[in-house]
Amino acid sequence: MRALRMLGSSVGNKLLLGLTGLALFGFLLFHLFGNLLGFLGPEIYNEHAHALISNPLIIPAEFGILAIFLTHIYKAVVNYWKNRAARPVAYGVKKWAGGPSRKSVGSTTMIWTGLSVLIFVAIHLKLFKYGPVYFEAGTGVRDLYRLLIDDFRRPGIVAGYVLAMFLLGLHLRHGISSSIQSLGLMPESWTARILRAGIVLAILIAGLFAVIPVAVYFGAIR
Amino acid sequence: MRIHLTVWRQSGPKDAGRFITYTAEDVSPDQSFLEMLDVVNEQLIKKGEEPIAFDSDCREGICGTCGFMVSGIPHGPEPGTTVCQLHMRKFKDGDSLTLEPWRAEAFPVIKDLVVDRSAFDKIIQAGGYTSVNTGGARDANAILIGKSIADAAMDSAACIGCGACVAACKNASAALFTSAKITHLSLLPQGQVERTTRVVNMVAAMDDAGFGSCSNEGECEAVCPKGISLKNIATMNREYWKAMLAD
Repeated sequence: MRALRMLGSSVGNKLLLGLTGLALFGFLLFHLFGNLLGFLGPEIYNEHAHALISNPLIIPAEFGILAIFLTHIYKAVVNYWKNRAARPVAYGVKKWAGGPSRKSVGSTTMIWTGLSVLIFVAIHLKLFKYGPVYFEAGTGVRDLYRLLIDDFRRPGIVAGYVLAMFLLGLHLRHGISSSIQSLGLMPESWTARILRAGIVLAILIAGLFAVIPVAVYFGAIR
Repeated sequence: MRIHLTVWRQSGPKDAGRFITYTAEDVSPDQSFLEMLDVVNEQLIKKGEEPIAFDSDCREGICGTCGFMVSGIPHGPEPGTTVCQLHMRKFKDGDSLTLEPWRAEAFPVIKDLVVDRSAFDKIIQAGGYTSVNTGGARDANAILIGKSIADAAMDSAACIGCGACVAACKNASAALFTSAKITHLSLLPQGQVERTTRVVNMVAAMDDAGFGSCSNEGECEAVCPKGISLKNIATMNREYWKAMLAD
């Protein structure tokens, strides 16, 4: 009982944010793996998607991810309002401290990049998961590859996806290393490496996600 | 040197407050920032005006009493320095500086640059202590503590409780202050008795006082006059979930 109450404190809030954030980071890595299969052609891409969709565990897994996602959002919004209330009067002059500070555009815009990703996810699900259903001729396997090609030939969608991935990258730039610090798993001798790895991973993940729509648009995937 | 000052003037906790501009003439580069303000105040008193209120005590950078924003940075632009140990040679003739009190819900302004930091005392009262047996005083070195542990505990204990961490944080979070106290005591054998309850109670007191949460940006560490590290906050977080699991 006390443990549950403790999760509601400022530190408990951040523990949950860090934990759910890391879980979502894991999901992103898995999703990226599936996307990159697009470079290997329609058969492998659709086969991977089919293996996921036809797995009986997909429904519980989806609910699990939804629960993690909602917890992350709920805790982030609660956090944001409490933090705003903690400084009701703004400074006339305020500067970034510089030096060892980890403050970045990413760290100061977490709530906004996060909410942008939420809007993106809704549009993304509408376009793909709940988008038009095509089937591969003869096999009965859903042809998501065709949907991929159809959608990413439209410049508006490509531009939107690239922008969304830029915002996701900004979110991850602070989020990955910050979640490790929130969980108290940042040993001093590893701090610099974890901070650097967080930035590299953010660029890599956002970049690779963004490459796919661009590749389709310019005909590298067709 | 001539320094232009834009100072937050607020006659009391209920007053709305506003910025007023002053010019400090003939400032010596050898003066400390507070000595410069002392001279400005003498002139204000001579003119029959109310002097600028600011906190200070030891003026040696070790008591934690002084502190206000100098042009947007707590304790001013020099790292690892309290405003009493900040010297005017750090500035140029003709510089314009803005002086403002710490701004946080938990640190209400009492007057001008003076804020009420008793919220920190409440956090300490909630768990920043150790239990000792009554009776004759024990020999100071009766309990052996390894040097590396003693050093690490001392690094955390160096916190003077000035509040610069809260002032610098975009969330006005007291995580650095609270975590330094928790880390200091959790490292030492004397602190083991209350180890679990301490972290729970001090975090609760921190939240009750109206401080925000930690965003792991480390602005606090960058402005801390004692160089208290963000690793203290990682330790606090770890102590917290250990206490949660121990429940």
